[in-house]
Amino acid sequence: MKSTLNWQIASVARITPETTNVKSFTLTLPQWMRHRAGQHYDIRLTAEDGYQTQRSYSIASEPEREGEIDITVERIGDGEASTYLHDVLVPGDQVEVRGPIGGYFVWEVGLSPGPLLLIAGGSGVVPLMSMIRHRAAAMAKNPAALLYSSRNFEDVIYYNELEKLRSANSGLQIFHTLTRSQPTDWKGYARRIDQEMLKEVAGPLGKGVQVYICGPTLMVESAANTLVKIGVDSNQIRTERFGPTGG
Amino acid sequence: MEEATDINRELMLDANATAGLLYEIFGMDMTAEPTECANCGQEGEVGTLLAFTHGPGVVLRCSGCESVVLRIVQTPDAIYLDARGAVYLRLTTHKAEPENDSLGG
Repeated sequence: MKSTLNWQIASVARITPETTNVKSFTLTLPQWMRHRAGQHYDIRLTAEDGYQTQRSYSIASEPEREGEIDITVERIGDGEASTYLHDVLVPGDQVEVRGPIGGYFVWEVGLSPGPLLLIAGGSGVVPLMSMIRHRAAAMAKNPAALLYSSRNFEDVIYYNELEKLRSANSGLQIFHTLTRSQPTDWKGYARRIDQEMLKEVAGPLGKGVQVYICGPTLMVESAANTLVKIGVDSNQIRTERFGPTGG
Repeated sequence: MEEATDINRELMLDANATAGLLYEIFGMDMTAEPTECANCGQEGEVGTLLAFTHGPGVVLRCSGCESVVLRIVQTPDAIYLDARGAVYLRLTTHKAEPENDSLGG
């Protein structure tokens, strides 16, 4: 709590492609500290001429993993930070980071063992994935659901891992919706998140459900407002907006 | 109070995204600390504030009435904090045993 928030030099241990535009970066941290699922790290990039830029990236990995973290980053066309991470960084490179930070958008099974609803838009799934991985690592059995909106099937991050976790019989349900195009045999939702969908997903979780929503600003706003409309207490909803794109 | 414009609304983040900057100012994680809007009286965690980070400086607005709660400007040698939009900010100095050793909360 009273520790100082220092910049440290992390090393890139592995780079894992997730989708065409999304990669996960495994960073080894000399001053590793256990995070809480939902927290992020700030990353600072310095150009040769001294120009600096800074971004916040959510941690994707579970707190139970020691010494390293995964961040999952979407490549944004004109994003100076994400293009550097995607196009330039290779294993063995070093980046300046500080964290873990953020005490608001966090979920811990020990503190909040009740029903859990996670709603993601695009790469907003990243901090929620840390929560899902934490839940699995802690072998929690609380009722939980992920509603995950992507444009196309190819854009779904962590699909295989989510399928595995779904079939692990731990009480985790996964609902995908594909808003732009769907494979021919698609059985999931095929529209933007709406009231009917939220009723179907949130309804079985009951009144005391704790909700975390992360994604593009307008999607987060709309999902949060609709949940309140169908009776979810706004104090039970935590949101993390990342603007139209991220960075 | 003037509401944020549409383009700003699209770029809007949560104050969670400014946790690092707030940490620099206050020396602790502020996102789970409570504050009160001086305009409408809404109380909530700093993390619930709406963050506008794409201008020169950072503006945090109330999620209830959208009036400005905190304004932060960084210069090469100083940080300016305008907090007149907040009735108060609470900084927890003493806490029950933390769950783990991370910095958050």
